[in-house]
Amino acid sequence: MKYSHTIFRKYFALAFISARSNFAYFAEVLSRQLFLAVILYILLRLWQQTYSHCGLQQMAGLSLPQMLWYLTATEAIILSSSPISTIMDEEIRSGSLAMQLIRPTPYPLYRLALYLGERALRLLANFFIGSIICFVLVREIPVSVVGILALAMALPLAIILDFLGNFLVGLAAFWLENTSGILFIYSRLTMVLGGMLIPLDLLPAPYSNLAKSLPFASMVYGPARQFVHPCNFELLQFIVLQISWIFVFSIIVWQVYSLALKRVASNGG
Amino acid sequence: MFFAKILNYIRLAIAYVRLNWLSHIEYRNAFYIEAAGMFLNNVIWLVFWVYFFKAFPTVPTWTSSDVITLWAISAAGWGIAFVIFGNCRFLANIISTGQLDAWMLYPRHLLSHLILGKMKPSAFGDMVFGFAMYLFFVRPDFPHLALFCILTVSVAILFTGFSIVAGSLSFFLGNAESLALHLEFAMICFCTYPAPIFEGRIRWLLYTVLPALFVSYYPIEALRNLSIEQALYAFAGSLAFASIAVYVFYFGLKRYESGNLTVMRG
Repeated sequence: MKYSHTIFRKYFALAFISARSNFAYFAEVLSRQLFLAVILYILLRLWQQTYSHCGLQQMAGLSLPQMLWYLTATEAIILSSSPISTIMDEEIRSGSLAMQLIRPTPYPLYRLALYLGERALRLLANFFIGSIICFVLVREIPVSVVGILALAMALPLAIILDFLGNFLVGLAAFWLENTSGILFIYSRLTMVLGGMLIPLDLLPAPYSNLAKSLPFASMVYGPARQFVHPCNFELLQFIVLQISWIFVFSIIVWQVYSLALKRVASNGG
Repeated sequence: MFFAKILNYIRLAIAYVRLNWLSHIEYRNAFYIEAAGMFLNNVIWLVFWVYFFKAFPTVPTWTSSDVITLWAISAAGWGIAFVIFGNCRFLANIISTGQLDAWMLYPRHLLSHLILGKMKPSAFGDMVFGFAMYLFFVRPDFPHLALFCILTVSVAILFTGFSIVAGSLSFFLGNAESLALHLEFAMICFCTYPAPIFEGRIRWLLYTVLPALFVSYYPIEALRNLSIEQALYAFAGSLAFASIAVYVFYFGLKRYESGNLTVMRG
C-alpha cells in the first residue's frame, strides 16, 4: 500500500513539474488561444452558412449554438495535444534516450506522467478561453452540468489513448530517420476521423458507424459529443470503447517498445 | 543595372536551393518521409473538404473544382515559398537567439540573403500536391494552367512576406517564435476556406492583417473567369504585403542587439 502510494506520488510529481514548466511559457499559451479564437470564428461562419443554406434548425441533433460548443470542445482537445513524438524522435536520434532509460521509472510511464501534466494545463486553458470566445460568438451556453461531468469522465481516457498513439509514432524513430511524416498523417486522421470539424453523425451511415468505432473517435468525438449532448448509454458505450482501445494500444506499445529497446546501443560517455 | 541585380539574385537563389537540396538528400529517407507525409496529409484534408462542400451547400456558388483549386493554389504557393525561402519560418528564432550576427557579415542584402538559408522538406510535399491535384482533378486547359502557375508565384510572394512579418515580431516582443507559428497557422486556415463565407468587417482584416483574400479570393476568381484583372489584383496585394514585410524587418532591425553568438555555417 505504502509502495503504491510512493509510486503514485512520484508520477504525480512528474506531472506537476511538467505542468509548471509549461506554465512558465505563458506567451506560448496565449498565442495558442489566439489561434483558437481564429479557428472558432472561421468555424462559426462556416456552420452559420451551412445551417442557413440547408434551412435546418438542427443537424445531427445539434442546434447551431450546440454545434459551436461541440467544435469548441473538439478544438480545445486537439489544440492541447503535446508534441511528445517529436521529443521522442529527437531523443532517439540524438542518443539522449540512454539518459532517460537509466532513470528509476519505466520510460513510457515517465513520458505519460509528463504528457498528462502538460496536457491537463493546456486543456484547462483551452476550455477556459474557448468557452469565453464561444459565448461571445453565440451568446448562449447550451451545456448542462451533466454534460460537463460526462466530459470530465471521458477526457482522461481520451488523453491516455492519444498518448499511446503519439508514443507509437515516436517509437517509429527507432526504424525511420524522421517521424514527422507519420505524425502529419496521424494528427490529420485524429482531426478528420475524430470529428474535429464535423460531428461524425453527419457522415454517410456506413462511414459514420465505422468512424465512431475507430480509436480517433474515442479521443475527440466521444468526449465532445457527451459535452453538448450527454446520454448515459452512449457515455457508457464510449468509455467501454475507450478502455478496449487503450488495452489494444497498450499491448501494441509494449510489444513495439520491447523490440525497440533491443536496438538501443549504449557506449558509455 | 536593375535587371543585372535581379539576375544575380536568381543565380544566388538557384545556388542555395541546390545546396539545400543536396544537404537534405544526404538523409534521403527522412526527406522523402516528411515530404510524402505532408502530401498525404493534404490529400486527407482535400478529400474531407470536397465531401463537406458536396454534402452541405455552404457556398452554393462553389463547386468541387473550386475547392480543389483553392487547396491546390494555397499548397503550391506555400510549397514554392518555403522550398526557396524556407529560412523565413525560422526567422523569429534566428532573431531572438542572436543568430542574425552571422548573416550580417555577408556582403549581401541581409533579408534577401537570409531567407534563402534553409529549405523545408514538407514544403516539397505541398508543392507537388498543389500542382498534382490541379492537373489531375481540375484538368485545366493551357490558359488556365498558365494562369495557375503564374498565380502560385503571387501566392508564394504573399506567404513569404507574411512569414517575414510574423518572424520580425521577435524584434519587438523578444521571443515571438510561438506567436509567429500560430499567426502562420491562422493565415493558412483563412486561406483554405472559401472567401464568400467571410463577410462584413472581417473582410478588412483579411485584406490587411491576415491578407488571406489575396489567396482565397482574387486568384480563385481569376481562374474561374480567366480574368487578368483579378490576377493583377492578386499580384498587387502580394507585392504590397511583401514591401511592408521588408519595411517591418528593417525597421525592427534597428532594435536588434548582437547576441555575440559564435555560429558556424557549413
